[in-house]
Amino acid sequence: MKRLLILLLLATLSFASEYVVISNKKMKDLSKTQIKAIFLKKINIINDLEVIPINLGTRNDLREKFEKDILKMNFVRLKSYWTKQHYLGHRPPLSMKSQQSIKAFVKKVDGAIGYIEKSALDDSVKVLYQWGD
Amino acid sequence: MYKFLIILLFLASLKAAEEYQLGEGAQIGSLPLYMGGYVSLDYKSAENEDRYRIDDIAVLGYGGYDKFSYMAEVEFKKFYVRTYSSEYDNTSHNTRLYLERVYLDYNLNENYSFRAGKYNSPIGFWNLLPINVLRETSSSPVSSSILFPKFTTGLGLSYTTFGTGELKIDIMAQNNHDLDAKYNNYEVDRHYGVGLTYEVEDYTYKLNGGYFHKDNIVNEPIYYMLLSAKYEADKYQILSEFGTQTSKDDTATDYAGYVQAVYRATEQHIGILRLETYDDNVANIQESLAIVGYTYRPLYPIAIKSEYQFHEESDLDQILFSLSVLF
Repeated sequence: MKRLLILLLLATLSFASEYVVISNKKMKDLSKTQIKAIFLKKINIINDLEVIPINLGTRNDLREKFEKDILKMNFVRLKSYWTKQHYLGHRPPLSMKSQQSIKAFVKKVDGAIGYIEKSALDDSVKVLYQWGD
Repeated sequence: MYKFLIILLFLASLKAAEEYQLGEGAQIGSLPLYMGGYVSLDYKSAENEDRYRIDDIAVLGYGGYDKFSYMAEVEFKKFYVRTYSSEYDNTSHNTRLYLERVYLDYNLNENYSFRAGKYNSPIGFWNLLPINVLRETSSSPVSSSILFPKFTTGLGLSYTTFGTGELKIDIMAQNNHDLDAKYNNYEVDRHYGVGLTYEVEDYTYKLNGGYFHKDNIVNEPIYYMLLSAKYEADKYQILSEFGTQTSKDDTATDYAGYVQAVYRATEQHIGILRLETYDDNVANIQESLAIVGYTYRPLYPIAIKSEYQFHEESDLDQILFSLSVLF
């Protein structure tokens, strides 16, 4: 019985997904609070570089996980947040259709920052933060 | 010519560079310029008087390049007002175009940002998002218009640091006339203020203090202080601001504040309860009131609101409806 439980636990862990926030290798280390501030456009400049947060498309599963776990806001609250930011002169982050596009963009553009599944990671980019289900 | 240029720029924004979404404005071609605006209409029914109003018609433009960004906003205020009762029926039009905001920001780094121009005084929460469509009720709390100058024309500095939470210090400095004194709750020639904001998880706390001097009036400066707190979750928001003024003359407000609870039943249906109290020595009114409201947002940038105000003196009770759109 004990073995069965351990096997079930291991099986569950092996299916748990992990995700990473990535940037160009020139980016300095960032805390979770700073990453949140970048995606809410409260931080625009780091180390004399314009920071460019990149989202996945609206209603993308990974984007929803990122918004729930890192930004701690749901879709409705974010929609109201960006409407208010429009009045204050700030734009929402750009979005890209795929994790591959985000990784390629982040690799090429200094200051770019995005998020992908850990399984899509390679050493061309820097990992700033990692989280899981 | 001035108005013509504004209309031309707005029409140009219809030829947007990216897919347009209501409430987020549109980029003008490939220029570092985004245009948007808002309108609001309201109706008030009180015991002795009813009023229809086209209150706000505003156009705003903003953009940025590298470490610089800018914002400008012009507005028709009380564009059309009809007030009537059993004894009179008055209609007024105000076609004066007001300069609401115009400023330039310089973001030095992730911590420091500088501002020059006319801007919403970063005091409390309500004053930063004061327009009808973005607030939860058609009316604004009395405290938001009697304690401090809503706008500052001068310099601003903000310092932000990020640890477990986010700590921000704002400094406001004005030692000149307002860029458009008719568009401010106080005509001031001096305003110095400081604000401290701490945000952690769903909670934000704010403390503001400062003083201002009324323009062209030989009197004592007025000192103010405002303490604010906000709890925000997906379904709920609780917001509170309480402040006081002090001055050597006797026109200062002893206290003014409110607590407001918002419940978002769904994305579209929102219920609001606000309790207010204030002692305004200029208008010589001391009272408490309760406001119960319901807001329907078919889309977030469109708000159809209703509210009922229960005053201590029941003949001051009133009902308000409004329609507002941000585009």
